[in-house]
Amino acid sequence: MTGIRVPAHTPAPTAGPAPAQQPDVAVTAARLRAARRAATRRAALLACVLVLVLAALLVASVLLGGTRNIPAGDVLPAAFGLRTGLADYVIHRIRLPRALAALLAGALFGLSGALYQRLIRNPLATPDIVGISAGAGAGAVTVLLFAPAVPFGVEGAALAGSFLLVGIVLALSRRGGRVDTFRLVLIGIGMAAVCTAYVNYLFSLAGQHSIAQVTRWLVGSVSGATWDGVTTLAVAFLACALAAAPLGRALGAMSLGDQLAAGLGTRVGRARTAALLLGAAAAALATSVTGPIGFVSLVSGPIAVRLVGADRSLPLAAPIGAVMVLGADVLAQHGPLISPVPTGVLTALLGAPYFVWLILRRGQGATS
Amino acid sequence: MTHTVLPTTAQPPPPAPARTRLSRGTSVLLLGGLLLAVVVIASTGLGARDISALEIVKILLHPGGSGYNHDVLWTERIPRTLLGLAVGASLGASGLVMQALTMNPLSDPGVLGVEQGAAMFVVLGILFLDVSDAGGFFWLALAGSAVTAALVYLIGTRTNAGSTTIGLVLAGVAIAAVLASLVTLLVVRDEAVYSSLRFWSVGQLTGRAQVLGEIAPFAVVGLLLALPLGRTLNLLSLGEESARGLGLRVQRAQLAAAAVAVTLCAAATAAVGPVAFVGLVAAHLARMLVGADHRWSLPLSMLCGAVLLVGADTVGRVVLDHGEVQVSVMTAIVGTPFFVWLARRRDLVRM
Repeated sequence: MTGIRVPAHTPAPTAGPAPAQQPDVAVTAARLRAARRAATRRAALLACVLVLVLAALLVASVLLGGTRNIPAGDVLPAAFGLRTGLADYVIHRIRLPRALAALLAGALFGLSGALYQRLIRNPLATPDIVGISAGAGAGAVTVLLFAPAVPFGVEGAALAGSFLLVGIVLALSRRGGRVDTFRLVLIGIGMAAVCTAYVNYLFSLAGQHSIAQVTRWLVGSVSGATWDGVTTLAVAFLACALAAAPLGRALGAMSLGDQLAAGLGTRVGRARTAALLLGAAAAALATSVTGPIGFVSLVSGPIAVRLVGADRSLPLAAPIGAVMVLGADVLAQHGPLISPVPTGVLTALLGAPYFVWLILRRGQGATS
Repeated sequence: MTHTVLPTTAQPPPPAPARTRLSRGTSVLLLGGLLLAVVVIASTGLGARDISALEIVKILLHPGGSGYNHDVLWTERIPRTLLGLAVGASLGASGLVMQALTMNPLSDPGVLGVEQGAAMFVVLGILFLDVSDAGGFFWLALAGSAVTAALVYLIGTRTNAGSTTIGLVLAGVAIAAVLASLVTLLVVRDEAVYSSLRFWSVGQLTGRAQVLGEIAPFAVVGLLLALPLGRTLNLLSLGEESARGLGLRVQRAQLAAAAVAVTLCAAATAAVGPVAFVGLVAAHLARMLVGADHRWSLPLSMLCGAVLLVGADTVGRVVLDHGEVQVSVMTAIVGTPFFVWLARRRDLVRM
């Protein structure tokens, strides 16, 4: 039982009072109900705080680049495309799509990571670590360089690449009928190396390419995002969030063990396949617009679990991922000394130390 | 602390009769020498410019001549082949020593992020200290790989991620990600700097022929220092207790072996940038061929590494119509299936 950590402050249900003692049962039930209500309230409060933070970051992302030549009254109308000229170009064409792309891609990465962590029960088995984002990026770059005119080719190839990677990694890490989660992580790391090598190969094959392209597809960056990309991400996020909603309950049941989950009426096999494909699709669609921004899906899930407990972590992981990527992008654009850099550089610099901390502090019991 | 004896890897060399081992070792070394000759000839003979075999022999026999083909051969292909041999042998030896020291079959200077550390220090030196000669690169790479190796070792052996095998790999991945990001952070703002320094994230032999003279001494010294380590590594692989009982000063021996591994890794990275998986594959091939006795497997691992690197570089040179595929890309494509195969082994994940 891993990845599931009840926050320390939640009143833990006291271990079983004898069933004969009726009042005690009632008291315990009441206490459990109260605890659940409190946790739900807390989750709702946190969601509100995150939305406020996101709004603030969005405003910061649009305004921080300076608005000297744009009249203050024009900023808001320009954001909705109601102005022309400089205001339209700066706000509507450049800054707003970039900020929205960061927000939506972060949400998708966060959701995909939380799905995988909840399903595989190993906090390290997220799409960015096990190479699924890298596979999506490899597919996307293939189409981008050889068949850029195909409609929805990049998105389709990213999806195909990620599904292929999921299949390969799962097939290779299955041994004796079961999948060891740490073997899965190791094999995923190897497959990620292949995909990165392949992208490097493609760029040396293509010869002519800009630095922005190379960094986007190797490191991940939201710079140069367009409204088309934002539309893709928005549709993808809506679809994935709608599909993930009914899966949450099934995953919660499956965290008790497959047999118990089946006994509770969950179709375990179907739910597992759905969660694997959904998580891969979310990561792939985000990658098809922004490139493989690393460590977001790794970090969002555990933070959500830490804040509200495992049962409510799934919906909260999306806004946490969004805050992370949007915040990293604001920093990447305007941070002192370092800006401008690709967004993925900063998420890796923030996420990798957390990853180290994660592998250092996990107890032995967390591995099964 | 770390050298909890892992019974699966700490087997003594199988008690084969001395003579068959000798003859087997000899025949394997002979076969390896033959393969080495093949890749060296291929590496000298193949390239973007077609030069007939007869002409190559003629040019080789008359080193003082002149002409375009002559220059291509003597200033480009031959130094490049020699550099490939030195780097490959260094990585092979470094990989085997690292695997023996950490008792971890997945150890490799690239997989554990040590080469990334070396490359980052070189980039720092280029940007802030104006270092521009390969000798300076070596000392920077040495500092970088020593710091990174210590860091990865300290983190990797303290994790509880299933086993130290996985812990080390995960620590290496995390450290490599941080270091690669720092390199990108430092160089990405300037297009010219970026394209000239991208070399330090994707290792390649292209255009590196001229560093041969400056790097080769370090690599050769490292390799010579590594050769007598075989017996020490054999003793260490028995476990700390037994090694101490047999009269080995364990910590001193471990430090010396680690220093040699780090030096070799630094020499290789300073010469061609980070190239992963060569050490991993070479060390396992060597052990498969002659068994766990490090007196044999260490020189053989050097040989395998040299063959692998020069072979991968030659294939990368001819696989495209125009341009070349960097050698690190080739080794990743060759090495990863091997890595995956190792990761699938039953005894690996839970020791």
